[in-house]
Amino acid sequence: MKKLFIFFNFFSAAVTAFFTVLQLKRLLLCLPILLLLLLLAGVDCKAQSTVQLAQPVLKYPSLFFKTFVAVEMKFEQAGTQIHYTLNNQTPTTQNKVYTHPIKIKKSFTTLKAIVSGDSFLSSEIVSATFIKEGFKIKLVQQTPANERFNGTGLNTLIDNKGGIADMNSKTWLGYQQDSVEINITLEKKQKLTAVLINCLQDQGSWVFLPAKLQLFYFDENKGTFELLGEQLPDHNKQVSAISCQPILLTASKKIKAQKIKIILKGIKTLPAWHAGNGQPGWLFVDEIKVY
Amino acid sequence: MQRRTFIKNSTIAAAGLMYQPSMAFREDPLLGQGNKRYRLDTKWSHADVARNPVNDCHEMVQDSKGRIILLTNETKNNVLIYDKTGKLLTTWGSEYPGAHGLTLFNENGTEVLFICDNNRHQVIKTTLEGRVLLVLDYPKETGEYTKAEEYVPTETAITANGDIYVADGYGKDFIIRYDSKGRYISHFGGRGNEPKHLLNAHGVCVDNRDPLRTCLVVTSRQQNAFKRYTFEGVYIDTIPLPGAWVCRPVIKGDYLYAAVLQSNSNLWKQSGFITILDKNFKVVSNLGGSEPTYVDHKLDEMYQTIKYFDYPHDVCVDDEENLYVAQWNSGKVYPYKLSPVI
Repeated sequence: MKKLFIFFNFFSAAVTAFFTVLQLKRLLLCLPILLLLLLLAGVDCKAQSTVQLAQPVLKYPSLFFKTFVAVEMKFEQAGTQIHYTLNNQTPTTQNKVYTHPIKIKKSFTTLKAIVSGDSFLSSEIVSATFIKEGFKIKLVQQTPANERFNGTGLNTLIDNKGGIADMNSKTWLGYQQDSVEINITLEKKQKLTAVLINCLQDQGSWVFLPAKLQLFYFDENKGTFELLGEQLPDHNKQVSAISCQPILLTASKKIKAQKIKIILKGIKTLPAWHAGNGQPGWLFVDEIKVY
Repeated sequence: MQRRTFIKNSTIAAAGLMYQPSMAFREDPLLGQGNKRYRLDTKWSHADVARNPVNDCHEMVQDSKGRIILLTNETKNNVLIYDKTGKLLTTWGSEYPGAHGLTLFNENGTEVLFICDNNRHQVIKTTLEGRVLLVLDYPKETGEYTKAEEYVPTETAITANGDIYVADGYGKDFIIRYDSKGRYISHFGGRGNEPKHLLNAHGVCVDNRDPLRTCLVVTSRQQNAFKRYTFEGVYIDTIPLPGAWVCRPVIKGDYLYAAVLQSNSNLWKQSGFITILDKNFKVVSNLGGSEPTYVDHKLDEMYQTIKYFDYPHDVCVDDEENLYVAQWNSGKVYPYKLSPVI
């Protein structure tokens, strides 16, 4: 078995060793050893394996919510507990122990959690950011998605359902084309600060982040769409993990508008390192929020 | 006493004192739950990596001499034959670049092997020494295939009368039935939306535990399930294993063992474990995985809890109930051994 790091009870051993030394004059001689042992001892007396615990399993209906979202965490392993934070800090065993589902009400709350247990190394951190609805949207229209991945209907992008890192989840719109256009009409004119677009990254399934995202607003005086923000994600970089990537397009100036347009440019051809080198890639979007 | 000797002696004394309480204090954690718990030995194989390397370790079987036979897609030695202590006895094979499925069958007193090769798109029957006895090419007789590349066999199961069932787990997910001479009889499964259909039909085995209800157990890995069929290919039922990418079913005694390649909750991040089901297809233990819980007879999602394994691909159970675990894409590690704890 891989039991390598054994934190012995140095302290008690050292004390015992000390009392076995009967002659006081020897004390001076063994002092350095005692000091060394005490230094090494720390406070713990656990035997710890080098085997690591897996991450806790997060369960939630969606990363997006209107008023609140309840998040459940699971880890059926005797002798372990889940610790978590909601303030973006790295969770440690000093943090709160999970007992029952957590209710999240504040937008952009990040839940971070680990599992710890006596006999194992603590798990890696699992984290998820929950996003509250932005301005009310009256109408959304987008380029029709591929029929294999066409979500749940016209309102797929604004239904507060998404953030499931599985391309087969019916929350996604999937595209295999160069350019995707999304037109949004807000219920009323608003002062815009940012637009959030949630994309899927699953390179093993040929799903890449957009190469470019552009945000336009409709200038009523000019009667034209004007560029308000742009993002160029590092979409070509090789990443083996499958994840949701909320991309924020921030407004470059202070304006008020009711109509906005978003243009997503997909990866044209898969990069040289990919098994599908030279073939068209996919672009997946499941939710849009306007702030 | 000289100073140097004294220091040396007291250090030994201290070390001795420290060691004993610690050993009594805690033992290595056991894997699994209930009466299916095991102790893990990751250093079972004594093979020399310079001479006998492995790539993906796909499957293992035990022969009647008690030897453990491993199949790997490393063409320096596709087959490694060990004794139960992990001593490498012999190796053979360099012509199986896509070596994947390994099944042992006792044919009238002589043991033979069936190898599924993903790259060659073939099933090869050999002696235990590696002499080729029969080669099954892609099954054009089914009318489902137009070229060999569409057929990527992953597993075989052989019934007592010698009929061969091949699972095309990385191809079109059909189960193809042949007679003992390799003549096509029928096929079933395949992809679709009905319960009888399969998705990633990675494994197949014969279940003889209940003599009145013998059947085939087939893996539908991406559906996280086993499916049962009659020997004629009629669908019986589905055993859902939520969250678990199960590989082939391996039956020994009353139990069914299977490597779980990974957990649905943590895909492609080395989240595998081993699952054990009783003869009623109820999960009783997960080695390195969550404690199985049933609510109203429905199994909760399962997932890896302790990272003992990366991507386990097969379990072999020997005559003393020890397990051997072969792993895919896990740093070219040799198989691990697990001994039951009574």
